[in-house]
Amino acid sequence: MKTILEGSQACAEAVRLARVQVVSAYPITPQTHIVEELAKFCSDGSLNGRFLCVESEHSAMAAVIGAAAGGVRTFTASSSQGLALMHEMLHWAAGGRLPIVMAEVNRALGPGWNLWADQTDSLAQRDTGWIQLYCADGQEVLDTTLQAYRLAEAVNLPVMVILDAFFLSHTWEPVDLPAQEEVDQFLPPYAPRFRMDTDHPQSLHGVAPIGVYMEMRRSMQLAMEAVPELLERIEEEFFARFGRRYGPVEPYLCDDADVILVTSGTAAGTARVVVDQLRAEGQKAGLLRIRMFRPFPVRSVHEVLKSALKVAVLDRNCSFGAGGIFASELRSALQGGNPVPVYSYIAGLGGRDITVETIRDCFALTRGTDRPAIESVWLGVKEELLK
Amino acid sequence: MTPQDAKLPLLPLFMPISSAPTSANRTGSWSSRQPRYVEKTAPCSVHCPCGEDIPRIEMLAVRGEYAQAWRTIMTENPLPGCCGRVCFHPCEGGCNRAQFDAPVAINALERFLDDQAGEGPLPAELRPAPASGRRIAIAGSGPAGLAAAWFLARLGHECEIFEAAPEPGGLLRYGIPAYRLPAAVLDREIGRIRELGVRIHSSMALDEELLGKTRSRYDAIFIACGNGRGLGLDIPGGDLAIDGLAFLRAVRSGGLKTRPADESGPRSAAVIGGGNTAIDVARTLLRLGIAPTILYRRRREEMPAFSHEIDSALAEGVNLVELSAPLAIRHDSQAFTLTLQKMRISEPGADGRMRVVPVEGETREMNFGAVYAAVGVRAEEPWRSLAGAEGALRLSHTLLLPESPTGLPVLLGGDLVNEVESVADAIASGKEAAIALDLLFREGCGAITPGLERCRIGAGPSLSMEIYQGGPRRSRSQRIVRYDDLNPDHFTAAPPERGDSLPSAAAAGSFAEIEAALTADRALEQAGRCFNCGICNDCDNCRTFCPEAAVLLELRNSSRSDPERRITYDFCKGCGVCLTECPRCAMEMEEAAS
Repeated sequence: MKTILEGSQACAEAVRLARVQVVSAYPITPQTHIVEELAKFCSDGSLNGRFLCVESEHSAMAAVIGAAAGGVRTFTASSSQGLALMHEMLHWAAGGRLPIVMAEVNRALGPGWNLWADQTDSLAQRDTGWIQLYCADGQEVLDTTLQAYRLAEAVNLPVMVILDAFFLSHTWEPVDLPAQEEVDQFLPPYAPRFRMDTDHPQSLHGVAPIGVYMEMRRSMQLAMEAVPELLERIEEEFFARFGRRYGPVEPYLCDDADVILVTSGTAAGTARVVVDQLRAEGQKAGLLRIRMFRPFPVRSVHEVLKSALKVAVLDRNCSFGAGGIFASELRSALQGGNPVPVYSYIAGLGGRDITVETIRDCFALTRGTDRPAIESVWLGVKEELLK
Repeated sequence: MTPQDAKLPLLPLFMPISSAPTSANRTGSWSSRQPRYVEKTAPCSVHCPCGEDIPRIEMLAVRGEYAQAWRTIMTENPLPGCCGRVCFHPCEGGCNRAQFDAPVAINALERFLDDQAGEGPLPAELRPAPASGRRIAIAGSGPAGLAAAWFLARLGHECEIFEAAPEPGGLLRYGIPAYRLPAAVLDREIGRIRELGVRIHSSMALDEELLGKTRSRYDAIFIACGNGRGLGLDIPGGDLAIDGLAFLRAVRSGGLKTRPADESGPRSAAVIGGGNTAIDVARTLLRLGIAPTILYRRRREEMPAFSHEIDSALAEGVNLVELSAPLAIRHDSQAFTLTLQKMRISEPGADGRMRVVPVEGETREMNFGAVYAAVGVRAEEPWRSLAGAEGALRLSHTLLLPESPTGLPVLLGGDLVNEVESVADAIASGKEAAIALDLLFREGCGAITPGLERCRIGAGPSLSMEIYQGGPRRSRSQRIVRYDDLNPDHFTAAPPERGDSLPSAAAAGSFAEIEAALTADRALEQAGRCFNCGICNDCDNCRTFCPEAAVLLELRNSSRSDPERRITYDFCKGCGVCLTECPRCAMEMEEAAS
């Protein structure tokens, strides 16, 4: 059924359709609409789940960890400082092999306080063992959330479904809302491989001495390595049922492109417009949107970029002292693949618009420069404020 | 296509999960300190002159164990029906809940629990100990005399009460108007005391003549005959004023009707004084159809009467004239004329109340149909002289004369010696007399003071009979629980509830009891508001919150339904979470024995 939904609502509807049993969250802008909607669902009975009110994001994650360890399907959501406060528990969820799904609405970290889009919050959690999927529109948020439960429960790792603040979380778009029966067939009830069972007491997540800890970490890495193939199979099923698929990466006009722009999230929509303009002007421009950041889709990237002459990466984030995070990940991923130069650009931090002009600049600078600068190039910065 | 049966492959899952017990890991060995269950003293019970175990009483009430709650009251106070109505409830003044929202309505709960107890025979645990062969004469059947008889009889001593008035009860019967304390309540409580074998000789004062004839029958005397005589007004015409206490006595004795019998009688009256007797006289006059005006030399805020009683009196229509001191009373055929000196506030006195001084030259006259004086009381002779005898030992609520002129040990109690002249303090006198005499009989005079000190609640003046008799309350720490010792996170705000009161207009027209009892629902809510400061009410927080599962629930030997908590120090790390989460400060942390 086509309907008009806010990005946050698309996420909440997916959680309802996934028949999540325990939701726990602490409100933070711009995530709040998601959990408000879920609180409503829990209270009016349209979701037969418990909404646990807690006093912090750390507790929210702890609560869903407890619930997931009890063998039920769980959900939480956060943003920015809230996600940062969860950090310790993020490791626990992944190390505990709990298939928790959370929505993470990308928001800048303070200070200075800023409510708007910026990916540094989620990217700072890249080493916690969470699968990370970056969405570009409301439909994808809904679909990815449903797929995330299949994926998480298949590999026993938690999944972060990531939305840009406001550009996606607060934007109303037509969304195809699938029927509950269809979703039930795609996503059967959670069958945990282990759970806390008071009738059969066992200790979960206890001590791991030197003799076994490394094997536990290897097991997590193997699970991550299995994700691309499993996601493909899950998306096959999803496509057969719902007619939509996304892949770990989404290439656009890349096959013959000499310069390919790599980006993620809602900036990809604008970039697509630019690629169309440049193509019309006779340039062989291409676009690669990275949807799956963890595990990093190395093979897909190799395949798409195999014949590009130059790659420009547009990052809405910054690892201070290193630059754009997608760019450094991409450079690392290209080892063993096409030794193409990678041009790194940073734009749109703290919700600043990434416009058609910004992206045209990316292409123009990349095409007009012989070799990439060592440091990331910041676009649209008011240099006069920094004098 | 989507094969529903195309199951995704199972990946190897190697993770920390174990079915082996963790008991091999003796986490307690890391500990340097150990929590223990140490029950402490609630401030309400310290403030209660009778030392009632209020936190336990309310805990039992919440569980619906009304009979056990009532027996717990009766262990310390044989007059809960009276106290539940007329006590000035200093317990509520000490209640920690006041700092959270408002004090628990302890007084109303006491009345509720006594109402639940009904008429049946006394339960076994309140019956007397084997007879000691000692016999005590008690002068006065007011609350002090009745309480002394109750406690002495329960300790195995035979008691005879001598009461000058035709019926027992003293001030409870003759000094407190029926609208505050119905006679039936008093009769029921006196009946229970009689059930212990106490004999009450009414219309028979224990005077020197009687004592001379019967001295050899007794081993000790307790004198608690109160201050039955009103102080006169020492002004010209002062003898024209009717003694307030005598007036109340006459009304309670049925000597006066509740309606003006004679239309030609007085229509207005002055009541001189500012204490509880003045209020009682004024409100009684109102019920007799006479318009009362209280004349007080200071202001309302300096009146010694209980504030809520003043409020009720004014609401019912009693008139109050402040800063007016009587100089003289004249009487002619028409009226009593009072000459009043206008007073003004000067400076605070030693008691903190403001003093007043006359305003030079400002006097006025007021006419009334009658004048009542309620300016203070004193004891009847000859007991006034005894109170000043040499060699007397001043205890908290009694005065002990080990060798009195009567040749017997004599204790004086009640209003004769108490600083605070209240029913509860009178009962405290009776209890102190009983314990003191029991100690005297068993161990001699030297044992009295140390013996009494062992029974003090929180090292204050209140005494516990349960502690004296070696009950479980003896194991409590004397440390008084403060609000800061509690964890209010575990409490929710709820208002205090009292019984409904008659509307003032209706109340003023009859001697019917003004305040109704709490309903059972309200009583339960009210008892549930009690923090149970310092005592374990089995809330189980210690066990629930213990991160090491080191708090075990074990069945007590005697009872399968009443489990007991025990901390296993093999696993307790001494983290202190149990202490933090104990809402009521019933635990303590101690350095572990190495």
